[in-house]
Amino acid sequence: MTQRISKYQRFKMMNPIIQFFKFIYLSIKIMVVVAGGHGGTREVKSKVSKLVS
Amino acid sequence: MSKIVILGAGISGHVAASHLRRKLSKEHEVLVVSPNSNYQWIPSNIWVGVGRMKSKEILFPLAPLYKKKGIRYKQAKAITFHPEGDKTEQKPYILAEYVVGEKKGQQEKVTYDYLINATGPKLNFEATEGLTPGLNKTYSVCTYTHADHAWEGLNDLIQQMKQGKKVKILIGTGHAKATCQGAAFEYILNVEQELRRHKVRDMAEVTWISNEYQLGDFGMDGMLLSYGSMTMKSSEMVGMIFEDRDIKWILGVGVDKIENGIAYYENLDGEHKKEKYDFAMLIPSFSGHGFKAFDKNNEDVTSKLFKGFMIVDADYTSKPYEDWSVKDWPETYQNPSYQNIFAPGIAFAPPHAISKPRKSKNGTAIFPAPPRTGMPSGITAKLVADNIIDSIKSGKDTAHHKGSLGNMGAACIASAGFGITQGSGVSITTYPIVPDYEKYPKTQGRQLGKTFGEIGLAGHWLKLALHYAFIYKAKMRPFWWLIPE
Repeated sequence: MTQRISKYQRFKMMNPIIQFFKFIYLSIKIMVVVAGGHGGTREVKSKVSKLVS
Repeated sequence: MSKIVILGAGISGHVAASHLRRKLSKEHEVLVVSPNSNYQWIPSNIWVGVGRMKSKEILFPLAPLYKKKGIRYKQAKAITFHPEGDKTEQKPYILAEYVVGEKKGQQEKVTYDYLINATGPKLNFEATEGLTPGLNKTYSVCTYTHADHAWEGLNDLIQQMKQGKKVKILIGTGHAKATCQGAAFEYILNVEQELRRHKVRDMAEVTWISNEYQLGDFGMDGMLLSYGSMTMKSSEMVGMIFEDRDIKWILGVGVDKIENGIAYYENLDGEHKKEKYDFAMLIPSFSGHGFKAFDKNNEDVTSKLFKGFMIVDADYTSKPYEDWSVKDWPETYQNPSYQNIFAPGIAFAPPHAISKPRKSKNGTAIFPAPPRTGMPSGITAKLVADNIIDSIKSGKDTAHHKGSLGNMGAACIASAGFGITQGSGVSITTYPIVPDYEKYPKTQGRQLGKTFGEIGLAGHWLKLALHYAFIYKAKMRPFWWLIPE
């Protein structure tokens, strides 16, 4: 086993107080990325046919 | 009035049905046709598979909810598509067969004005010889019943380890072109944590086996991401986690045969090798359901609707990897031949892979198929519903709601272990999902900052919060629509 994550890093990753603030930060950041909108990448002449009204 | 039929009640189908019902008046009919009686929140199957959640915590029955909300529901499976009707039925319809109750086995023509195909993938276990959940010491976490079996198998193994047995655990992909590496990634980290919790970690050799060329590919060609103040590749991040947890890895391989405790595979060098194991969780390849379609004269028009999965507004022109463009990906998930048919979520045929295609020296294609997880499934289902709603309400043809995977962000909150104080999660967001090399040429097609990774306890809390939030949303509790997809 190679210890790739230092004890200090691990402390930060698992400390509930630090992680509580990280939780708030991540929630907002993820919301910005995901709910920040989406759209197309090209112009498409695509139409929905309404068959029956 | 209009009648909208939705095939499937998974994330995509259920999201579409929910939004259609909320936004359309009762004169319009919303009908869900699904062979499944329960809604399941698939991302939490991981925790069922390590015994930290019961399957009843991740599912609920559909029929009472749909009855309460005014959504019609038939527990039936689609058999054939008839987008022009036939000689006796003027309206387009799907032929469905009931799977339970008094009508079990009976077939019925279900007519529609708009059809949303949200049937998701077929779990194609048959594509790999011997890969059957619960047999040959292999398991799956693709459904809650599979996850229950996986936990039974793992728990049994843990008891043997406590008696002093040394074991090998193999987790990853079970086919050369499988996808959903993220689920296997979560499962291997959760299994590793459970072994430590049960104090048997030193009794197990845990190995990741995958068709990815590099760690952290996830079927998305990997990513360059912000990690704290650094910028690192997803391969480096996953490598760091695996090394830290003493997880070995075998990459660039296609598992092609399973025998009791032995996985046979071919690697990119064309070598045929095998790996022994005592417990394996291998994700199968996904495929379309093999539906057939017929026109009004009963002529086969399957090629107009299906290319494995359903054909939508993507550019399916065959071209080399270098010429792939983000513009190839669909925006409205609308079938070009029958424009009242849509296929959001996993039901649409992707124009090509996202990861670079690779072949072994024997010519075997070994690379991940493109992943389409819960978040884009929900987003694409909602935009399809919105386009149909706009068309019905305005009386005009419209498709102005668009959502290409090349212009959409996604979050992957990968559980790395369960526990309120001892849990962990790897939170990764990607923007866009399909890399746009024209817009972001220097950062591997993605926007740094919006593409980032974090590891820690907060990730576990986040995944747990999403579990409760999305089940609340799926149950259509008060103000459910305020929770984004």
